[in-house]
Amino acid sequence: MVIVFQSKPSLLAGGVVAGPLEKRSIFSQYFDAIYDDERWEMKTNEQGHRKMVEEACEFAMKKAGVKNPDIDYFMGGDLVNQMTPTNFAARDLAIPFIGLFSACATSVSSVIVASLLTEVGAANFSLAGASSQHNAVERQFRYPVDYGSQKPQTAQWTVTAAGFALIGKHHEEYPSIEAATVGKSIDYGMDDPFHMGAAMAPAAFQTIQSHLEQRNQKIYNYDLILTGDLGQLGLKLLKGMLVESGVKNEELTLLRDAGAEFYGQDESFQSGASGAGCSAAIFFSYVIQQMRAGTYKRVLLVATGALLSPLSFQQGETIPCTAHAIEITMK
Amino acid sequence: MEKEQYKKLEQNVTPKPPYLKNVAKAFFVGGLICTIGQAVSLFYMIFFNFTEATAGNPTVATMVFFAMILTGFGLYKRIGQCAGAGSAVPVTGFGNAVISAAIEHRSEGLVLGVGGNLFKLAGSVVLFGVVSAFFVGLIKYILVTIGVVSW
Amino acid sequence: MRLLGIMLPLLVSVSLLSSCNEKEKFIVYGSPDNEKEVEAILKEHDFVDKTTVIQYDDSMLVAVQIKPWDKWKKAKLEKKLQKEFDEKYPNKDVLVSADFKIFYEANKIKKDKIEDNKLNDKIKELKELSKEES
Repeated sequence: MVIVFQSKPSLLAGGVVAGPLEKRSIFSQYFDAIYDDERWEMKTNEQGHRKMVEEACEFAMKKAGVKNPDIDYFMGGDLVNQMTPTNFAARDLAIPFIGLFSACATSVSSVIVASLLTEVGAANFSLAGASSQHNAVERQFRYPVDYGSQKPQTAQWTVTAAGFALIGKHHEEYPSIEAATVGKSIDYGMDDPFHMGAAMAPAAFQTIQSHLEQRNQKIYNYDLILTGDLGQLGLKLLKGMLVESGVKNEELTLLRDAGAEFYGQDESFQSGASGAGCSAAIFFSYVIQQMRAGTYKRVLLVATGALLSPLSFQQGETIPCTAHAIEITMK
Repeated sequence: MEKEQYKKLEQNVTPKPPYLKNVAKAFFVGGLICTIGQAVSLFYMIFFNFTEATAGNPTVATMVFFAMILTGFGLYKRIGQCAGAGSAVPVTGFGNAVISAAIEHRSEGLVLGVGGNLFKLAGSVVLFGVVSAFFVGLIKYILVTIGVVSW
Repeated sequence: MRLLGIMLPLLVSVSLLSSCNEKEKFIVYGSPDNEKEVEAILKEHDFVDKTTVIQYDDSMLVAVQIKPWDKWKKAKLEKKLQKEFDEKYPNKDVLVSADFKIFYEANKIKKDKIEDNKLNDKIKELKELSKEES
């Protein structure tokens, strides 16, 4: 079911920080800070992960000129066990906190919850976003970082980045959230953890489809439909599904994917970028900035998440996926 | 779209792994590693008092040492991405599996971190190596006993 | 391309290494005068690539290098030669070894032209070395 926000909460600011490898991202100019140390000068990857979340939040707050006590809620998540980096960041930020897990779709699901809190008047300001740190996530889901295994062309690279947005009451000068769709958990029987794009594409398709239907819109009514981290292959599959359902070819150029574009055409990243930080970093830097500059007036952001764990795929389970969408407009 | 229909689409879009290219790369990189191993083994025979039978141990140790250096500098994973089985099958691949786990789990301490996880990846290699050695030995013993082959 | 750059010099150096010593495939060194006889025994076998025989008085060290494909049966061929030599020279203490280390050291003895009095010790030393196990 689509949620329509009457009060149209606004994305007042976005804070995005990224790790050293993300210098190679074609979006790096939009990020607030890029660090040369992937651990942020901390002892462990997980501590660096935490620090990254804090810094991204600081940037978002600084831009809007607010301080921690002004923020009513902090919503976020990451991919590490029990989400300790975000939980620990919440401890240091000292803001009432709800941890959210929708895998890589957390970047949008957190914005949806924050917008609802703003809509009902419970929050003046809230922080929402997601993050991922390559080393911490890879060890969680796959092999040790330095293990020399051969990744197939379908694999995606978990980015080191954190993106958080400051959400407040409607403000004309800022992009506003008009509507949102919370996706179902879709399982098309894909079971390859090195081919997440294929697992996630159906979820993105269903969410886009149902959002458009219930909003009574067509793809060409949007300036951009940006998915989270389908990767090059996942995006191809999503386009294939849309064509199958009767979408015209010329409309497909409006569809882009943050993961597929993140590292440009660099083949050493296989199918592209992934991770909760991938979509968050692009949505809360590039998209917000482009909307404020007037490039886009109406954007649909669709973050996709693969809801697997190392345990589940070792036990032979397929990979259920979800996708959440928010519709953002700029006057 | 139905699941079966999607599976077909997925198979059309997903590129086939370049098996021939992968095999060639694995062959050359694996061969290169083995050539280096042979050179190390010759080194121990020529400059030290090791015979072909006894040079194996120090050679393996040296190759694992090389793998350790490469893993520490983050180079082995690049070799692995290019060569696949070519760098995973020689003993350097075993070394890489052990050492990468050790580096990874250093943050949890020496005993529970490094000690507990050192053989996380390589453990199954050790286990099934020992088990299969036992069965191969058993089969040979039976064959010798019934007189099909000699030792 | 980069791979080729590494492989080429390596292949060249390997082929250079193997091509030397081509002339002296059968070497017999030491005091007793039975060179022709020993050489004849070894030349009978196709699997023998190169040999160096060191002898002094009653003790004899036969270092053999076996051709690549026959190396699969190295232990068996070694045993076969040992048996043959034991039968031929029942009064002598013969050791046949297909180990590269022994072959290398035997060649060194020949090259350094070690004197007869030291030869006995050397042979003894190598025989002990070849019995070492890992």
